[in-house]
Amino acid sequence: MEDKVFELDGVSRSFGSLKAVDNLTLSLGRGEVTGFLGTNGAGKTTTIKMLIGLIRPTSGTVRLFGGDPTVSATRARIGYMPEMAYYYPYLNVRELLSFYGGVCGMDKQTVKARTDELLEEVELVEAAKRPLKTYSKGMLQRAGIAQALLNDPDLLVLDEPFTGLDPLARIHFRNLLKKLRGQGKSIFFSSHELGETELLCDNVAIMKKGQCIYHGPVDRLAGDGGGNLERLFLDVLKKGGVA
Amino acid sequence: MKGSMRRIGALVKLSLLELWRRNDMFALLVLSLVLLVPLSLARPFGASGATRYFDEVALLLVWCYSLFIALGIGGRLFTSEFANRTVYPLLAKPVSRGELLVGKYLGAVVASWSALAFFYILWVASSLLRGGECLTVCLFQAFILHALFAALAVAAAVAGSFLLTPSASTTLLAILFPAMFFFGRHLPDYAENVSGVLRGLVNAFYWIAPHAEFFDMRQRLVHGWGGVEAGVFLAVVGYGVVYSAVLLFLAHFLFKRKRL
Repeated sequence: MEDKVFELDGVSRSFGSLKAVDNLTLSLGRGEVTGFLGTNGAGKTTTIKMLIGLIRPTSGTVRLFGGDPTVSATRARIGYMPEMAYYYPYLNVRELLSFYGGVCGMDKQTVKARTDELLEEVELVEAAKRPLKTYSKGMLQRAGIAQALLNDPDLLVLDEPFTGLDPLARIHFRNLLKKLRGQGKSIFFSSHELGETELLCDNVAIMKKGQCIYHGPVDRLAGDGGGNLERLFLDVLKKGGVA
Repeated sequence: MKGSMRRIGALVKLSLLELWRRNDMFALLVLSLVLLVPLSLARPFGASGATRYFDEVALLLVWCYSLFIALGIGGRLFTSEFANRTVYPLLAKPVSRGELLVGKYLGAVVASWSALAFFYILWVASSLLRGGECLTVCLFQAFILHALFAALAVAAAVAGSFLLTPSASTTLLAILFPAMFFFGRHLPDYAENVSGVLRGLVNAFYWIAPHAEFFDMRQRLVHGWGGVEAGVFLAVVGYGVVYSAVLLFLAHFLFKRKRL
């Protein structure tokens, strides 16, 4: 069994003259929850895209469960929720999950059982027959987390999962992530929500201009200045690292 | 292999659901009913020649509809995935880009074939009502070749949507296919009458462009000339299959290079 769920080793990615990610080395251990922080354009989404095999790095290596994430079979053990997807507006959430189940190669009975379970979990049972085009942003986020959890993944990769959620939905989502952490799932999520990150994460990684300027435990970061994550995040960004 | 088939099956089903739940598809079908039925049932002065003329126009409309449907379906097959950002969670699943392309393409082809079958059933029903004998080998050949043309048009629209903007690609193909349909067979004659670089270009275009006219059996169907020889039929089938496959390989190549 692998120690590391994923490993990025000296990874860089350029788009023309723009270096979106620069020599990034980062890893996630089994059962760890890591928050991926940084300002807009810091390279978080590009890193996530490389991690799940959507794009290849210009240099360096990305290993997911010891394999190459661009090989489709390697992605069988991950669940991914993008920053804001609109999914398929003409499908209802059951059809959406049935479709993704088929794409994951799951059999119909398993998909049905898992769908029932997840709809309860994300509180979409009552809206299950409504087309997704009638869903609010928060409901779409919940449909998004349901599709990410459908194949019971070992690693959850979430890009800005708290975006668009109202306070109640946010609390519910936070509790869901805590429950998943309790089940031993590894979770890696990018966020601008420092409060949520502080509540959920074992570790944080902070990106600035494509480089990781801090990767380590939240409490160590908090301990350095004895303050909250928000203030420390700003300090780290200003200093360019932690002393 | 079984997993791959299941993934492709799910994608085919998604494409079908997407297309049949769109209102514009129904609008086109209703429009076709409104236009095709009166045309097919018309008996001007009881003159058989005029009836055939209306029959031919009805079949030409079927060709136009099928082309619009194929280009419309193929053109937005992947552009809507990118616009709605649904391609990201999809490609994060254990599905390859090749499987995604094949699955969505097959779904689009099946959807366009189902619309085509509807048009042909309508045409055959109206022909039978007039006492015509249209259930022939020729009808079978005409439908198969038309269906292959639809598959080729979908493949061209998919490849075009990766190469150009969706509207530019659809417009270009909406001009290219009818142009080839009506004038493709005259290109070698035209090439004979020009010289130099232009002749080379016309000849190159003749060999490269998709020959929509190869799939057209309207005249044979309307005038009761009978089907084509098996060898010719199979050659056109082969042409359609190979051309579509080349376009899909091109689409796959462009999809793999596309920045996500």
